[in-house]
Amino acid sequence: MSITEVQFEAREAADGQSIANIEGRSQWQLTWRRLRSDKVSMIALAVIIIMVLLAITAPVFAAITHHPPNVAFPNTGENAVGLPVGPFTNGFWLGSDGTGRDLFIRILYGARISLFVGVVTTFIAACLGVSIGLMAGYFGGIIDTLLARLTDAVLAFPYVVLAIALAAVFGPSLTIIMAIITFFSWAGIARIVRGQTLSIKEKEYIEAARSIGAGPFRIMFLDILPNLMAPVLVVATLYIPAAVVFEATLSFLSLGIQPPTASWGNILSEATNFYQTSWWYVVFPALALLITTLAFNLLGDGIRDAMDPRTERILAARRMRRQRKRRRRATAALTGPTKDFPDPARQAPGI
Amino acid sequence: MADDDDVLVRVENLVKYFPVKAGGFIRHTVGQVHAVDDVSLIIERGKTLGLVGETGSGKSTLARCVAGLIPVTSGQVIFDGRDITKLSRGAMRPLRREVQMIFQDPYSSLNPRRRVGSIIGEPFAVHGIATGTERKRRVQELMERVGLNPEHYNRFPAEFSGGQRQRIGVARALALRPKLIICDEPVSALDVSIQAQVLNLLADLQTEYGLSYLFIAHDLEVVRHVSDKVAVMYLGRVGEAAPKEQLYETPRHPYTVALLSAAPAADPDTAAARQRVILTGDVPSPIDPPPGCRFHRRCPKAQPLCATDEPKLLPEGVSAVAEITAVVGQDIHLTACHFPVAVGENLATAARAREPA
Amino acid sequence: MAIIGYLIRRILTGAVVVWLVATLAFFLFFARPVITVARQLAGRAATPQVINEVISNLGLNQPIMTQYWHFLDGLLHGNLGYSYFTQESVDTMVKQDLPPTLSLVVGGVVLWLIVGLSVGIISATRARGPFDRVANVLVLIGLSMPTFVIGEFLILVIFVPLNQHGFTWIDTGYSGPSQGLVKWAGHMLLPWITLAAVQCAIYTRLTRGQLLDTLSEDYIRTARAKGLSERRVVFRHGVRAALTPVVSQLGVDVGTLLGGVVITEYVFGLGGLGQVSVQAVFQDNLPVIIGFVILAALFVVVANIVVDFLYASLDPRVRIT
Repeated sequence: MSITEVQFEAREAADGQSIANIEGRSQWQLTWRRLRSDKVSMIALAVIIIMVLLAITAPVFAAITHHPPNVAFPNTGENAVGLPVGPFTNGFWLGSDGTGRDLFIRILYGARISLFVGVVTTFIAACLGVSIGLMAGYFGGIIDTLLARLTDAVLAFPYVVLAIALAAVFGPSLTIIMAIITFFSWAGIARIVRGQTLSIKEKEYIEAARSIGAGPFRIMFLDILPNLMAPVLVVATLYIPAAVVFEATLSFLSLGIQPPTASWGNILSEATNFYQTSWWYVVFPALALLITTLAFNLLGDGIRDAMDPRTERILAARRMRRQRKRRRRATAALTGPTKDFPDPARQAPGI
Repeated sequence: MADDDDVLVRVENLVKYFPVKAGGFIRHTVGQVHAVDDVSLIIERGKTLGLVGETGSGKSTLARCVAGLIPVTSGQVIFDGRDITKLSRGAMRPLRREVQMIFQDPYSSLNPRRRVGSIIGEPFAVHGIATGTERKRRVQELMERVGLNPEHYNRFPAEFSGGQRQRIGVARALALRPKLIICDEPVSALDVSIQAQVLNLLADLQTEYGLSYLFIAHDLEVVRHVSDKVAVMYLGRVGEAAPKEQLYETPRHPYTVALLSAAPAADPDTAAARQRVILTGDVPSPIDPPPGCRFHRRCPKAQPLCATDEPKLLPEGVSAVAEITAVVGQDIHLTACHFPVAVGENLATAARAREPA
Repeated sequence: MAIIGYLIRRILTGAVVVWLVATLAFFLFFARPVITVARQLAGRAATPQVINEVISNLGLNQPIMTQYWHFLDGLLHGNLGYSYFTQESVDTMVKQDLPPTLSLVVGGVVLWLIVGLSVGIISATRARGPFDRVANVLVLIGLSMPTFVIGEFLILVIFVPLNQHGFTWIDTGYSGPSQGLVKWAGHMLLPWITLAAVQCAIYTRLTRGQLLDTLSEDYIRTARAKGLSERRVVFRHGVRAALTPVVSQLGVDVGTLLGGVVITEYVFGLGGLGQVSVQAVFQDNLPVIIGFVILAALFVVVANIVVDFLYASLDPRVRIT
C-alpha cells in the first residue's frame, strides 16, 4: 500500500455549485515530488541536462572556435617541439591533442557518441529485457527454462571476449559496439523483470484478470508491467553509465570507435602517450567521463530512494525528530525540563 | 429431482490433483496432492450453493475448476449445457462473460497501479463491448449500484477502505451481467459490521439480476445467511450436503456437528448450554489420504469399518448398494458417513471419551 | 550425498556450455569464404605461399562439417591450433602468457574480496557513522570510474612520480614470482588495485546492504537478547546469512572479471592472455583468438562451478533443487 496524498480541487459545476474533486496522486507524481526534494539528485539531473545540451550544440561551438572536430591545426595546435598546446592558448579552450586538433570540441563530439550509445542501447535493452523477462516469468515452464538459461548465460559471458571475437570477424564499428552493449544489457534487466513477474503473477488481481478473460499479453503489459516500472526505471538509469563506460573501454582498446572520430575512450587512448607532457590531454576527457557516469549513478540512486515508500517514512521520521528537537529546545528554554527529559535531581532515590 | 432447466451448473465427478515434484538428478513427480477427490454437485439458477470447509478442504480449488481458471484432472463441469473442461482457451473466452469471481483479499485482488474506473471497466475492454464515454457511463452506473460514489472513478484502490474495495470487486464481477458469480470467501477479510453490508448487497443483486452464487466460506454463520443449499467439504470430498435449515438444525455428519459446536454463539446462555465437540487426532495430509473415510482418524464415532470402507454420499435411510441419483445441491439431505449422528445424540461425550488420557 | 548429485549436474551443464561456445566460435570464424579465413589464420604478414600452406594444412577446402570434426578432435586432445603469425603453437603461447594472467587474477580477487567484504561489514556495523559516510563516497567514485581510467590514473599519479624520484619498486610490465617475490609484488601491486577497485566498490555496497538487511531481522534480535557478544552475533549469524547473495553474485562477476583482466593487462603491459588476444585482433591472428575464447569459456564455467559449490555449502536449501 502506498502512502497517498490528497489534492483538493474545488470546481465550479454548470449549475454554480462547487464540486470537490478529490483525486489521488499517481505513483509517478509522488516519486517526482520526493526526487525534487533530494538536492543531490537534482544537481545530478542538472549536470546531465547540461551535458546533453553541450552535446547537442557541439557544432555551434565548433563554429565559434573555427575548429571542426577532426581537423588538425599543426600551426596553432602544436608548439615548437610538436607537442600539444595547453588550455587557453591560440584559441584552444582546453588545449589541443596529439595532432593539433581542438580538445574541447573533440570532447563535445565524444559526448555525442557516449550519450547516444548510452541512452539508445539502454532503451533497446530495456524493451528487450522487459519483454523477455515478462514472458519468461509469466509463461513459466519450458519457455521460462530456456529464457532463464539464456539470460544466465549472457550475464556470465565475458563481454570483452565477445568484443574481441566480433571485432576480429567484422572489424570494429559503432554498430557492432551498440549491438554488443545491447546484447549484454538486456540480460540484467530481464533477470530482474522475471523475478518480479514471478512474484506478481501470484497476486489475486492477476487471477482476477484471467477470470475476466484477459489474454496473457494483455495481462503482461497492462497489469504486470505497471507494477514493474519502478525497478526497471532504476536499473535503466544505472545501465546508462555502464553502457557509456563500456563504449569508452572498447574504444580505449581500439576495438570500438576508430579515430579520427572522437570518442572519450580513444582520446584517452591517444593521451597515454602524452601524459608526461600534456596533463590536460588526459585530465579533461577523463573528467568528462567521470562527471557523466557519476551524475547518472547519483540520479539512479536518487530515483531508487524516491520510489521506495519506506524512504518517505524515514524522511518523515527525520523531519519529525528535528521538529520535536526544536520544539523541546524552545520550550525547555522557557519552562525548564519537560516530561520527556525528567530532571535527574528530582528523581526519587532508590527507584 | 431438480428440473434440468433449473440447473445452471452441473459438476460431475470432478477430480483435481496437484503433482508434487522432487529434485535429485531429474525433477520427477513423487506424489499427488488430492485437492478435490470426486465431487459432484449442481447449482440451480438464481440460487446460492454454500461451500464450507477448513483450509485445505479443497473448496477454493473446486471453485477455480468451476470457473475454468485451472484445468481439471478428470471429471466434467457442465455450464448451461456445455462441458467447459474440454474447451480451448479461445472457446472459453465468451464463456467468461457468464462466470465471474469475487476474491477474498480486498487488498490484493485489485491492481494497485490502476485506477478504479479502469479496473471495473476492464471486462468491457476485454470483450470489446463498450468504449470511451459509453464505458465510463456504464462503469459509473455499476459503481452507484454497488454503493460507491461514481465521482471516485479516477481514484486508486489504496484510497478505499476494505469494504469499499470488495464493492469494487463486486462491480467488476457484475459488469458483464454474468449468470454465475463464484464468491471465494468474499467477507472473510472484512470487519464484522462491514460483512453484513456486503452480504446484503450480494443478496440484493441476486434478486435484481437473477444471479446464481457459489459461495465459499469457512464461517458457518455467514454461509447460513446467504445460502439456499449448503455443502460441507473435508479433505477434497463432500461430507454432507443439505438445504440450509436441514443442515443447521439436524446435522448428521460428525464433522458438521463439530463445526457447528465450535461456532461462537452470540447469546451467552446458548453458548453455555452448547457442548463443544473437540476433535482429536492429526489432520491427515492431502498427499496421502488415509483409506476409508477421510475423517475417521479424528471422528468421535469411528469404528473399524470406517478405516477400510469409504462411505458414499447417500440420503437418509438409503443403503449403499442402491442406485443413487441424488446430487449435492438438490433439496435432499445427503451424508457420507457409516454412522451418522442421530437427532439428540450427544457427540461431545463421545469425543471426550476418545481423548488420550 | 545430494551435494554430489548437484555437483555432477553442474559439471555436465558446464561441459555442455563449453562445447556450445567452442561450436559457436568455430562457426563464427570458419563459416566464411575460404580465402578470408585463411588470411586471418595466417596473420597479417602472410605471403600467398603461406596462405596456401594454411589452406592445405588445415584442410580449409573440405566441407565445413569435416572441418568441425577435426576441430573438436583437436580440442579434445588439447591442441588449440597454430599461430602462423608468431610461428608457434597456441599451446606454447598459452603456457607463456598464462602466468601473468594467473598472478593478476589471484591477487586481484583476493584483494577485492578482503577489502570489499571488510569495508562492507564495518560500514554496516557502524552504519551512518563517519567511516560509513567516507566509504560511501569512495564507493560511488569507484563505481563511476572505468577500470582503464583507474589504471591510467594510478600510473600517472603513483608510478610516474615515484619513478622520476628513483623509486623503482613499482614498475610496469611483468616479473614472475620465481624472479623474486618482492619484485613480483612491486610489478603487480598497481594492477591488483586496478583490477580490484571497481569490484571492491560493488561488493562493499552489496555486503553492506545485505548485512544491514540481515541485521534487522528478528532472529538477530533474539541472538542479542540471548546475550551473545556483538561480534558473535555479527559474524556467526549476520555475515553467514548475508554472504549467500554475495557468493551468488561472484558467479556472475566472473565474466566482468575477465574484462577487467584484459584491460588491466593492456594498461600495464603485463603481456598476459588478455593483452595478447587484443593484439591478436590487430595482427589478424585468428588461432590465438579462438584459443582465448575457448579458454575464457572454460574459466567461466569452472569458476561458476566453484562458486555454486560454495553457495551450496553455505545454503543447504540449494542442494535439493
